[in-house]
Amino acid sequence: MPATLFQQNRGIKLLAVLPTVFVFTFVVMPVGNILFTSLKFESLKILKSETILNVVWFTTWQAIISTIASLVIALPIAAVIANFKFRSQRLIISLISVPFILPSIVVGAAFLQVLPNSFHRTAFALILAHTYFNFGFAARIIGARWLQIHPHLDDAARTLGASPRQVFTSITLKLLGKVILNSALVVFTLCFTSYGVVRILGGPSRSTIETEIYFRAMQLGDVSGALVLSLLQICVISIAFLLISSTRRTNRLQIINTTISRQRLINKTSQKLAISTICLMSIAFALVPILAIFRKSLISNSRLSTNAWREVLSNTRVLNSLITSLGYAVVTILIATTIALLAASSLAYNKNFRFISALTSLPILVSAVSIGLGIIVTFDTQPFNWRGSQMMLPIAHALVALPLAIRAITPVLNDIPDSLRQASSVLGANNWQVWRTIDFKIVRRAIIVAAAISAAVSLGEFGASSFLVRRNSETLPVTISRLLSRPGDILQSQGYALASLLIIFSIIVIFVIDKFSTTESTNSRA
Amino acid sequence: MKSTRLRQILIAISTITLITAATSCSSSSTTDVQDSTQDAEDLANPESDTNPVTLTLLAYDSFTPTPNIFDDFTAQTGIKVNIALGGDAGELVTKAALTAGNPEADVLWGVDNTLISRALAAKIFAPYESKNLANLDPAARKLVPNFEVTPVDTGDVCINYDVNWFAQRKIAPPLTLRALTSSNYANLLVVPSPVSSSPGLAFMLATIAEFGEDGWDEYWKALKQNGALVVGDWTEAYYTEFSGSSGKGERPIVVSYGSSPPAEMIFASPRPATAPTAVASLTCFRQVEFAGILRGTKHESEAKLLIDYLTDLKFQEDLPLTLFVYPANVNAKLPDDFVKYSLRPESPLQLDPELISRSLLIWLDEFTNIMLR
Repeated sequence: MPATLFQQNRGIKLLAVLPTVFVFTFVVMPVGNILFTSLKFESLKILKSETILNVVWFTTWQAIISTIASLVIALPIAAVIANFKFRSQRLIISLISVPFILPSIVVGAAFLQVLPNSFHRTAFALILAHTYFNFGFAARIIGARWLQIHPHLDDAARTLGASPRQVFTSITLKLLGKVILNSALVVFTLCFTSYGVVRILGGPSRSTIETEIYFRAMQLGDVSGALVLSLLQICVISIAFLLISSTRRTNRLQIINTTISRQRLINKTSQKLAISTICLMSIAFALVPILAIFRKSLISNSRLSTNAWREVLSNTRVLNSLITSLGYAVVTILIATTIALLAASSLAYNKNFRFISALTSLPILVSAVSIGLGIIVTFDTQPFNWRGSQMMLPIAHALVALPLAIRAITPVLNDIPDSLRQASSVLGANNWQVWRTIDFKIVRRAIIVAAAISAAVSLGEFGASSFLVRRNSETLPVTISRLLSRPGDILQSQGYALASLLIIFSIIVIFVIDKFSTTESTNSRA
Repeated sequence: MKSTRLRQILIAISTITLITAATSCSSSSTTDVQDSTQDAEDLANPESDTNPVTLTLLAYDSFTPTPNIFDDFTAQTGIKVNIALGGDAGELVTKAALTAGNPEADVLWGVDNTLISRALAAKIFAPYESKNLANLDPAARKLVPNFEVTPVDTGDVCINYDVNWFAQRKIAPPLTLRALTSSNYANLLVVPSPVSSSPGLAFMLATIAEFGEDGWDEYWKALKQNGALVVGDWTEAYYTEFSGSSGKGERPIVVSYGSSPPAEMIFASPRPATAPTAVASLTCFRQVEFAGILRGTKHESEAKLLIDYLTDLKFQEDLPLTLFVYPANVNAKLPDDFVKYSLRPESPLQLDPELISRSLLIWLDEFTNIMLR
C-alpha cells in the first residue's frame, strides 16, 4: 500500500503518544498492577465449576442475539436516514439516539413498567433492553457511513443494468460491510460486558461474567477469583474480535463524497408508506419506555400529581447532582474527543499504528471491576495519589467513551482519498494547511458525533469503570438509584421525576449537538 | 517490587497526563461544583499545616444525612468534613481491604455485621474507644470487643405484609418464618436474592439463625414448594411484586425493612389513615452498621473527634428520618411518627459475624442450588 501524504511526515508518529499514554496510565498499568498483586493461581480452579461454564455460555448467546436484534432493527432506519430527505428527519435521528444515553437503572425500571409481569426475569427482557440501548447507536454509525456512498456509484450500476437488489448487494452492502461489522463488534462487546440491565432485568438466576465478577469481588471479597473471570472475559471478546477481523475484506473503493448528497426527496406513495412505517416503529420503540417513566413521575398514590416534579426542582441537593453530572460530561467530552481524534488520526495516517485500535479498545474489554480496583491500588502514593481527585470520574468516563468515539471518527478519516491531499499539497499547502482544509472539514461532523457519544457515556455512567471511583458529590444516576431504592411513594415518584429530567437533558444534549453539526456542515458546503 | 526505573517511567508518563488533565480542567469552569479549591489544594500540597484539616468521610451511595449536619462539627473543632461516596457497603470493604494501611479516606461509614468479619480480617481499621461508647447499644457493642469500629446505627430486615390484602380476605397474616411454609400463604411471598441484595442476604441469615446450619436448607426447599418467588433486588421485590407498595404487585408478603411501614406513612401524600403495611416482628434479622477510622490516615486525632460526633445526639437523632435506621445511641430521641409506625423487635435474630464470613460462600451456593436452578 502506498504511503499517504501524512505518513511521510515524521511528526505524525507523535499523534499516537497521548492516546497510548492515556490508556497505558489508566488501564494497562492499573490492571497489570492489580493482577500482579492480587491474582493467585489456585483461583484458576473456579474455571472448572459448572456454574461458571453456564455463566459464560449464557453471556455469549445473549450477547450474540442482542447484537443481531440491534442490527436488524437499526438497518431499516439507517437506510431511511441515508437515502431520503424529509422534514422531520433530524428529529428522528435525534430521538432514536436517546436510548443509548440513558443510565441502565432508568432503562431497567422502564422495562419493568412496560413489560407484563410474566416477562420479568427472562432472557427475553434482557435481550430486548440490550436491543433498545444499542439500535439507535448502530443506526447512526451505519447511516452516517451510508450517506457517504457516492450516489453516482449506484447510478453507474443501474445504467449497466443492475436491478435495485443487485445495487444493494453488490455496492451498498459491500461498502457498508465493514461499518456493519464494526458496529456489531461494539454492540456485542457492550452486551457481553453489560452489568446494570442484567442485574435489574435478568433476574437472580441469570448472571453474566460481569455480574459474576462483581459478585465475587464485592460480595465475597474474592478479588483473585474475580480477576480470573476478568481474564476469561478478555479472552472471549478477543476471540470475537479475531473472528470478525478475519472476515473483513479491505475495500479499495474510494467513496468519499462531501459535495453530492445521495438523499432524495420522497416521491412515490409506496415509498412514503414504507418510510413512515419504519420511522414510526423506530420512534415508538425508542419512546415507549421513556413515556412509562414520565407517567410514573406524574402519579403519586394512584392519582395524577405534579408534587414529585415540584419537590425535585426545588431540592438543591438534587439540582446539585444535575450540575455535577453536566460538569463531568463537559470534561469527559474534552478528554475523550481530543484523545479519540488523535488516536483516529494516527490510525488513519500511519498503517503501522494498528495497535492503537486494540489498545484503545481495552477500557471496554477489561472488566470495569478490574480497572476500578487497579486504579485504587495504583494511584495511591504522592504525588500520584489521585484516588480522591475530581478528575478521576471524568477520566473513567472518558476511558469508556474512547473506543466508541474513535470508531465514530476512524472510518471517515480512512476514506479521505489521498489524491485530495496530494492536490492541495501540489498547490503549495503545507501539511498543517492540508489537514485543516481537507481532513478537518470532512471529519468535523464525525468529531461532533464522538462528542455526543462521550456526553452520553458520562451522563448515563453506563457499564462504566466509574462505579468504583470515589465521588466527591452525588451524580444524577446515583441520586436516581438512591431514590428508587427507598420505601415511600413520594421518594419513588421523585426518583422517576429525576429520571425524566435526565432523559430530558439527554434529549437536549443530543438535539443541540445535532443542530450544531448540521449548521457546521452547511457552512463548509457554502 | 517496583524498580526505580519503572518508577521513573511512571513519573514521566504521569506528568504528561497530569498536564493534560490540568489543561482540560481549567478550560471548563462548570466542573468545579464544590470543593474545587480544596481539591486543588489537595493536589498541590496535601499536608499543608496552614490550612484547616479536611476529613474525608467515605460512605455508601445511600448515605444521605441532612445536608448541613456537619456544620456544627466544623464550628466546634475547625475541622471540615468532605463526604465521598464509594458504591455499596460490599464495594467499600473490598476497596478498603485493598488499600489497608494507605486508605482512600479518613473515616469509613457503613460496614455492617454481615461484612464486619471480612473487614476486621483485612485489618482495615485503627481501633478507637469513643467517649460515647457507654451510651451505645450494648448488643451492637459486643460485636466488636476490640473497638476496631464503633456501632452507629441498627435496623431490622423483616417480613412485611400488605395489611389490607389480609383484612379483606379475613386471613391472619403470617407471624413467624415457619408460617410462611403453610399452604395458607402459598404463592404469596416475594424475596430479593441474597446473592445480589443486602436485605435478601439478611433474610437468608435470619433463616439460618432460626433453623440452624443443618435445617435452613430444608426450610427453603419448603418455601420453594410453597411458591416463594426470588427476584434480583429489593426495589423489584418491593415496588414491582409486592401488593402493599405503590407498585401494586400481586404478592402481599415481602422481605423488607422494619422501618418500611413508617416510610410508607411519612412519605405518602395524602397520608393514609392507617399504615398500609406492617411487620412480622418474629421474623426480623438485626443489621448493625459501624463507622471506623481507616488505618494509616494522616489525621487520626481529628478522625477520633469525627467518630465522637457521629455517635453524639445531634447526628444520631438525624438518622431515623434520613437513613431510616435506629440510632445506636440509646439516649437519642426518636421522631413521633417513627415510633408510632415502626415496630422494634425485642429479640431479633442474629448470627456470629465470624461464622457469616466463614460460611457465606457455601451458604450462597446452597441457596442458588435450591432456589435458582
